[in-house]
Amino acid sequence: MSRGRKALRAFLMIPLALAFVAVVLASQPPATLTVDDIVARHVAACGGLEKIRSIESLRETGRISAGADRKALVTRELKRPNRTRFEFTVQGVTGVFVTDGERGWKMSPFDGNTDPTPLSDEVVREAAEQGDLEGPLVDWKAKGHQVELVGREKLGEREAYKLKLTLKSGAVRYEYLDVKTFYLLRTESMREMRGRAVQIQANFSNYSKTRGVLFPRKIELAAAGRPQHLLVVLDKIEINPPLSDALFEMPDSVTP
Amino acid sequence: MRAARFLLPLVFLVPLPVFADDVYLQGGAKFSGRIVEQTETMISMDIGDGIVGIAMSRVDHIVKAPSPLDTYDQKAAKLGPKDAQGWRNLGRWAGQEGLSAQSRKAYQHVLVVAPDDPEAREALGFVLFDGRWMTEEESYVAQGYVKYEGEWMTPAEAQLAQENAEAEQARQDTERQAREEETAKLQEEAQAAKVEKQAEWEKSTRYWNLPVYLGGWGIGASAWPSTGTDSQWLQQWPRQPSSETPK
Repeated sequence: MSRGRKALRAFLMIPLALAFVAVVLASQPPATLTVDDIVARHVAACGGLEKIRSIESLRETGRISAGADRKALVTRELKRPNRTRFEFTVQGVTGVFVTDGERGWKMSPFDGNTDPTPLSDEVVREAAEQGDLEGPLVDWKAKGHQVELVGREKLGEREAYKLKLTLKSGAVRYEYLDVKTFYLLRTESMREMRGRAVQIQANFSNYSKTRGVLFPRKIELAAAGRPQHLLVVLDKIEINPPLSDALFEMPDSVTP
Repeated sequence: MRAARFLLPLVFLVPLPVFADDVYLQGGAKFSGRIVEQTETMISMDIGDGIVGIAMSRVDHIVKAPSPLDTYDQKAAKLGPKDAQGWRNLGRWAGQEGLSAQSRKAYQHVLVVAPDDPEAREALGFVLFDGRWMTEEESYVAQGYVKYEGEWMTPAEAQLAQENAEAEQARQDTERQAREEETAKLQEEAQAAKVEKQAEWEKSTRYWNLPVYLGGWGIGASAWPSTGTDSQWLQQWPRQPSSETPK
């Protein structure tokens, strides 16, 4: 090969190499992503703002297990704004726990009581946090939350951005987003259990999309330093199922 | 009206007609199983793990539906005692239907045939630790956890919880002691006030009984109040004691 042809070939290779580098760089997250960048990528990974905002109601059906003798079927229904309804079925007996964001009530035959009774303020407050069906990171500024990037941490085989999320209510939790997929891997929060502050971890996995929106199918809940785990496996997810407002209304016969 | 309460599981020795139903309560709670008895005031329902009583006053409506319990019984009747795979499938199905008791029964059949069957062991709450199947609690102990006030936790957390509980107890003791001292102080002050009042009362009584009041006899003319100071003198006079002694 002549020197001239070699030079020409090298010259032609330069744009190809540059293009290759550009593609590689574009596929890698920048080294210094801002909180806004991370959240934007997370929202995109979840299906995009438009699809997420189109969800008016949600029904998730699955199974909960906390050991051999503690298994239940569970249905979680959410409806904007901040309305939640949980149904737990154990051995043919179904109890309901409902909140509308401000008040809550339950019918828990497991406790031997078929009267509707009000939920404690603490439970209602926690349910209201979970009633945001699009998740707190979506439109976090408009919702009055604060988010800051704490750093990157290893979660098993994966690496995650650790975000400190301070909810409008003042409650603090940490959200771990996969640095590659931007899926939510873990949420950490503090809860009061029998008078003791305990760190609760929720780990999310088995992600798949329903009507273009990403959902975890497996959720494992555990308290730090405790051996017990609560495992939730979701078998079915329905987007915008018809949920009447009456489902979330407190019956007149609620007894304090 | 108070809610219907779970009745203790009852054993019915006499075969009863069974109906598969879903009983919906006002507010959304539900019972699924076989109605074994229904009166104007009460429904007795077999939920597969005992009989529960439901007050009719709480019932919103009843829906006739095939009971998974019937399906379980039909499937179980077709299985031989050594059909591990059949019982395994039935245990899995019952679990998915929320029939925990039936699921356990089916998996126990599996263990009779295959004692180390992983699915059956795990379904029945056993944990494989160091190559040996053990109960959940045994595995917690093997992993070094301790039970503190009904909760399994690390020894360090249990120690901290114990110390916090002791500190809280000490704080409560201190508060109680302070309250008791305050109460004692108040009682002392009340007692002192009572003594003082008693003394005043006795003093007033003494004055009240003085001869001067009764006419001034025996104390001489100089002790008599002058006309000009009469009203002032009367104001200084102890009030007439009541008929009751001071408390």
